[in-house]
Amino acid sequence: MSTTSETVTRTIDFKSAARDLLPAGASYDACLSCGLCSAGCPASGLEGMDPRRFIRMAMLDMNEELSTTAWIWTCTQCQRCKYVCPMSIDVSVLVGLARGAWPTEKKPRGIVRSCEAQLRFPGTSAMGLQEEDFVDAVQEVVASVRAQGDRFARLDAPIDRQGAHFFVNQNSREPATEPEEMGPLWKIFDYVGADWTYSSTGWAAENFCMFTGDDQSWRKMIEQRVDAVNRLGCKVWLNTECGHSFYTLWKGVERFGLKADFEPDSLVRYYARWIREGRLPVNAEWNTQGIKFTVQDPCQLVRKSLGDSMADDIRFVARALVGDANFIDMAPSRSANYCCGGGGGFLQAGMKELRYAYGKRKFDQITTTRADYVLTPCHNCHSQIEDLGRHFHGGYRVVHFWTLICLSLGILGENERKYLGPDLARLGL
Amino acid sequence: MCAQPTRDGPVLETEVLIVGGGVTGTGVMRDLALRGIHCLLIDRRDLNAGASGGNHGLLHSGGRYAATDPDTAAECRREADILKKVAPECIDACGGLFVAVEGDDAEFAARFPDYCDAAGIECAAITPAEARELEPCLSEKVFAAFTVQDATVDPFRITLENVNHARQLTQSIFLAHTALERFIIDGRTIRGAICRDTRTGEAMTVRARQVVNAAGAWAMAVARLAGCSGVNLLYSKGTLIISNARIGRRVINRLRPPGDGDILVPGGTVSLLGTTSQTLQNIEDSHPTVAEVDRLVAEGVAMVPQIAHTRFIRAFSGVRPLLLAAGANADGRKASRGFTLFDHESEGLANFATVAGGKLTTFRLMAEKTGDLVAQRLGNRQPCKTGTAPLPSGDALRWTEPGFAARYWVARRAPRDLILCECEMVPASAIDAIVENAPGAELQMSLNAIAVRSRVGKGSCQGAFCSLRVTSHLYERQVYDSRVGLRNTRDFVAQRFKGVAPVAWGEHLPQLELAEALHCALLGLDQLQDDDAHPASREVPAA
Repeated sequence: MSTTSETVTRTIDFKSAARDLLPAGASYDACLSCGLCSAGCPASGLEGMDPRRFIRMAMLDMNEELSTTAWIWTCTQCQRCKYVCPMSIDVSVLVGLARGAWPTEKKPRGIVRSCEAQLRFPGTSAMGLQEEDFVDAVQEVVASVRAQGDRFARLDAPIDRQGAHFFVNQNSREPATEPEEMGPLWKIFDYVGADWTYSSTGWAAENFCMFTGDDQSWRKMIEQRVDAVNRLGCKVWLNTECGHSFYTLWKGVERFGLKADFEPDSLVRYYARWIREGRLPVNAEWNTQGIKFTVQDPCQLVRKSLGDSMADDIRFVARALVGDANFIDMAPSRSANYCCGGGGGFLQAGMKELRYAYGKRKFDQITTTRADYVLTPCHNCHSQIEDLGRHFHGGYRVVHFWTLICLSLGILGENERKYLGPDLARLGL
Repeated sequence: MCAQPTRDGPVLETEVLIVGGGVTGTGVMRDLALRGIHCLLIDRRDLNAGASGGNHGLLHSGGRYAATDPDTAAECRREADILKKVAPECIDACGGLFVAVEGDDAEFAARFPDYCDAAGIECAAITPAEARELEPCLSEKVFAAFTVQDATVDPFRITLENVNHARQLTQSIFLAHTALERFIIDGRTIRGAICRDTRTGEAMTVRARQVVNAAGAWAMAVARLAGCSGVNLLYSKGTLIISNARIGRRVINRLRPPGDGDILVPGGTVSLLGTTSQTLQNIEDSHPTVAEVDRLVAEGVAMVPQIAHTRFIRAFSGVRPLLLAAGANADGRKASRGFTLFDHESEGLANFATVAGGKLTTFRLMAEKTGDLVAQRLGNRQPCKTGTAPLPSGDALRWTEPGFAARYWVARRAPRDLILCECEMVPASAIDAIVENAPGAELQMSLNAIAVRSRVGKGSCQGAFCSLRVTSHLYERQVYDSRVGLRNTRDFVAQRFKGVAPVAWGEHLPQLELAEALHCALLGLDQLQDDDAHPASREVPAA
């Protein structure tokens, strides 16, 4: 985070930056002007811009216009442009560069504040949670889950347990605003007998510093987290149901050349593995009403990092939970999925109307499936899709995987059903 | 202006008939209009269809000819200064560098300041390190460098502005695709000319008191139609290639006697690497070749190494009409870049003039001398005003400037003004302005004609997408009907293809493949038949 008081946006030479930052043959010079990027970009048309226009304006040396357009805050850096581009040109890289060149005081306040909060305490929470807040919240919920009955009397949520196999991170939203939502996740770990721990430092998942375009604070954030995992000697950094938090560490380790003595992985892949291994014997028998579900592929987990095998796992888990007949995919989906418009800091950027305009494409995609619920392992997707539903009167609900897993296993507590509708509010209690 | 039709079609009357819609012909037209004289300008194809469109747009400091042709060099310097004052909107005063690289003649480089001095050309020595600081793209092998006052000029815009100004001043007229077939000569006087609209095939008669031949490379042929054999030209084909994006800020010249691939000229948002020189027998045979492109790249790399992996999007050729004095050496590089005004009086004609040779940079002077002669013959005592009168611009005239449309569209913030050409960001409003009011605007204006007046088709896609989008727009506006638009699209992309084929390698090859898939596989434009009563225009613009 830049602490200087600069107020003028630095002008970037986008054309040469593209040459420096993008692979040969996939730089802006290779653009065919075909517009596949723009046709499939939900940010097309916002602020008079789209990905192809961004490239062309760079090639036309319109550096001032590109350095100052607010469009870079509506692009969620989802990289769908790169995915569909016949030349694999990645527009998001220079969007990140442009974000970084804005003076801090002109950047969207919400993103900047979240990043500043992350840098304030060693927990790296964007919601400003301090170590003791986190530990207290965890301990309170542990006590309350144990009180749910004998089944969970020995349930634990260890913190700073040296040598645990899994280092599990935690999105700040749960400990800060809905701590009871941590319960289902821990029940799953308990069910499969996972050897896991939280950490009192570097525990938070979210990383808004990455969205400010400030590489240094992105790096600082990831260094703190990598150090925390290395220190505890965990084998796997298990990322919670959250998209960008996986990408930011997975990519950050490579980008900044950090030494990580562990494998970053996604919780959903372990759900899939545990189901396949019979350790998490979920089924769809509870869905007697034929409630329909769709899934939102988080860009950060699928297109931007783990690819279609991740999309396969998401679907495998979803189908196991809700039944094949009750699963309806969106079109397009998997690596070609549209970003919901909650990523890249858009949710925090305060540009509500633009965010709704962006999200309309996702909303239409969801309502076309006629699904009653959207399952998504990403907090930003979750919030944005919920908000889109409210704004455009969608009538669907958005749920975490952990909720349905526990529902299917018959271990979902009464207070863990915040995201379920009346149809499922009492099921299995 | 129209008298009774004759056997040779309708009769058009004017004071001066000018043949050739290049920068010289249009310069003469404006020069005369500023003296209050009505002109009719005709071109067999369109504005800037010859050398005026097929060049690198360099506004010479004179440095290029300082050593070999000091008179032309000094003339270039004076004219460049005038144009910078009267038409600043057409000019990018980017400055220039002359650089010698390892292997070049060190003595020639050392003498360069003296040559410039003799021609009165400003030139300052800088160190190779300073040169590379000014232009980081320069080779590390540069051992001598000088700054000069080179600039670039948009030859299309200046031509459009010439015609438009003449139209405003005296209702002078420009007719595209109008070929001169023969003169009607009565003793020492040309009474008129029989012309034909190459698009409709219809003949017309032009009656004029004076006739000016400014046909550039075709001036010799036009003079012969008038029975004059004193105009002898050498045709020198020059090929250039256009990069996808601008390389360097300044004009970069190789500090050595003029040769292939020794100049890199910015053209707004792109750069042009030139130029070859090859003597031609047949001026119609002037397509760029792969061998020429290879030579340009191989030479250009010595000055600017990144040229080796630069994406080039187009090659084009122009034909330099060089004056051949009796017994002169038939080498295009060594022939004079000066110009001559022929009054043809010794050849028995009192109202015919030919202006030939010269350079883009000196067109105004050529027009002035021609205008002086024609005005005097007409008894008009008005002096030439082009040396001081600003060249007015207009809504329909500003779309040829690279990057203008994009900046205009972004600044205007009118998202409903649909962008039709995405590469150059040309909006629908620009196409509408051109179709309605650009010089040469007419019913069912061709895509090629629109491209001469805009940046349509000049970006990296080279017409792959904009051809279809502009055509669709014109159908929607009912400018086109039946198959006229489709044939226009076909003619336009065929024209673009000629320039793309010689640079089809590397990053540009997929572009060509995509265009072919769109135009042939999807639309079947290659199967389109020419069976309509009004064949589409076939004007061939320069790049």
